[in-house]
Amino acid sequence: MTKRAPMFRDTTFNELSRTSTLADVATEFVMDEDAFRGFYDRNARGLWAYLARVTGSREHADDLLQETFYRFLRADATHESETHRRNSLYRIATNLAHDARRQSAVRAPVISAGEEIENISSGDQAGATERSADVTWALKTLKPRERAMLWLAYAEGASHDEIAGMLGIRVASLKPMLFRARQKMAALLGRKPDGGKL
Amino acid sequence: MNPVECAFESEVLAAVLQSRWPERVDSKLRAHAASCSICSEVVAVAGAFDGSIEALRASAEVPDASRIWWQSQLRARREAVQAAGRPITTVQVIAFACAVGLLGACFGATSTWFQSALERIASNTAGFDFAAFLTAAGTLFAEHGALVLGLVAIVFVVPTAVYLTLARD
Repeated sequence: MTKRAPMFRDTTFNELSRTSTLADVATEFVMDEDAFRGFYDRNARGLWAYLARVTGSREHADDLLQETFYRFLRADATHESETHRRNSLYRIATNLAHDARRQSAVRAPVISAGEEIENISSGDQAGATERSADVTWALKTLKPRERAMLWLAYAEGASHDEIAGMLGIRVASLKPMLFRARQKMAALLGRKPDGGKL
Repeated sequence: MNPVECAFESEVLAAVLQSRWPERVDSKLRAHAASCSICSEVVAVAGAFDGSIEALRASAEVPDASRIWWQSQLRARREAVQAAGRPITTVQVIAFACAVGLLGACFGATSTWFQSALERIASNTAGFDFAAFLTAAGTLFAEHGALVLGLVAIVFVVPTAVYLTLARD
């Protein structure tokens, strides 16, 4: 597999050493480092899983994760609660995934849903890989927004209000959309030999 | 119209997400889910996700928080520097264009030699004489040496300075 250029530009060590001399330029974020560290540790893995599911690519999830946290910090927004802060983070991630999908659709179809997600390299490998592959197979046929709302609702356990906020749609619109997406997903899983059973 | 929500949906979902389904839930809830299409779909979808989410999270190789923080700080600084430098660069380019234009206009308007040379060039374009050109260039340099050097410096030095500034940014 050829090495893909990162979707978003990373900071090189030369740039780090050069820009670190520019101490006079103010770069205060609203969140301090300790608060950010705690927030990141609580949310990074969950956000990565969300991005991996929505984009269908581990590499894109890696790129988008860093970009999401950077933009979150740069936004300098104040949040009422941890939930509000987390919703903002997921909203940024959702928008970035959407932009990345549009860009890749213009350049080349590099994001094909779910091709690489099941490359799980830790944990109970066989079962986890099989379960993940089933979910991947089912999600692959859904639209990106359907994937996002299903994952947020049934993997992250987000409320309708939260999902509507993260995806930028009205709650009233979300409910029927989620209903239809869930119906499709359940039907697809039912076709698999070990799909969800009561 | 078919309902899109069920009153027990959130209870069923909580049980699946907390790994209490189906053993550690009330039998009435299980019976309801078996007969309710909405709740049975919730169990199917959430159950499928529940089986893969932990493995997916565990397989994620996320960078350290400190690294993300440090890179964000530096990137923010770099972007701030670029944003601050952008108007200066624009002003430099505009000033250069104005300087060249003004210099050319002054030179063209005040130098009779230049105007006569232009006329000569216009009349002799068909039969270009390299020796005559060299003589004319020598005369120009002898009479307006400082001006020619200044023009050359502006034409070459200023664009080079602008290029180097942009390249460094």
